Amino acid sequence: MTGMAAMLSRAIMALAVTSMRVSRPDWAEAMAAEYDAAAGDGHALPFAVGCLVAALRELPSRASGRFALSNHAVVLSIVVPMGALQLASVALGLSDLFPGGGGLSGALPSGGSSKWLTGFYQSIVPVLAVLQLALAIGHVRLAWAMLDRDWAAASRWAARTLAAATTLICFMGALFIDIRQVLVLGAIVAIEVCILMTVSDWHGDLCRARQGDPPD
Amino acid sequence: MRLALAALSQQRSAWRHGYDLLKETGLSSGTLYPLLMRMTENGLVEAEWREPAQPGRPPRHVYRLTAKGFALALELAGQDAAASGREALA
Repeated sequence: MTGMAAMLSRAIMALAVTSMRVSRPDWAEAMAAEYDAAAGDGHALPFAVGCLVAALRELPSRASGRFALSNHAVVLSIVVPMGALQLASVALGLSDLFPGGGGLSGALPSGGSSKWLTGFYQSIVPVLAVLQLALAIGHVRLAWAMLDRDWAAASRWAARTLAAATTLICFMGALFIDIRQVLVLGAIVAIEVCILMTVSDWHGDLCRARQGDPPD
Repeated sequence: MRLALAALSQQRSAWRHGYDLLKETGLSSGTLYPLLMRMTENGLVEAEWREPAQPGRPPRHVYRLTAKGFALALELAGQDAAASGREALA
């Protein structure tokens, strides 16, 4: 088997074993132990692909697998995109903070276009950028902690992210900048905190059930 | 499941490795392993760990039919024989 095919089959096998280990650790080790025999016969890749299929079929059949799928779905569909959006917004001149795509000048109160005020508002852009960067970092760390199932760290990062969003809303509101867009952002962060609490409670219930009863 | 039962019933008391069953049945690993899991849960197959023949290798899982599994294998084999007999007469 060529080097590339061998690497690919080992990577697929590692993914299969990791996925199966969530719900059936013994069977994960059983499949892993047979890989060498399959590789010796030159059938490493089809064996690995089949094991991955078996692992993905097993995930939804057990509570621990359903939890893993849901946790990954929340992180990959909400938390990571939110972090990426904040980072992109900072890179593109805070495009996500102001409604209507008009930038800071479009979000200023009427009469805010005087030379002195324009200069003043331009001077606060770095502060807004730092707060939005804090939101981006908060989302990335939150995603990491959720995938690690470190709920204490996830709670800390969720609280910090919510604090950054609240600070952004209050800061912009105090300066009479249009905060409609950033209110939506704050609402999404609040929803993420609620989702985090639900997911961590679910994991707690799973762990308690595992300690008390035989695995399902 | 019939293929897996037939393969395991060929050598009733012998422990078989997963990859050997794969080769004998012609099933893919994506089909065989879920089957073995269900059959083990339903008490048709028993599994245990065996130390590897070569040092440095991980232990391997081996499988064989339980009495319940062997009885089911015989029943299904009988049904298959009866069905093929009817076809031959028809």
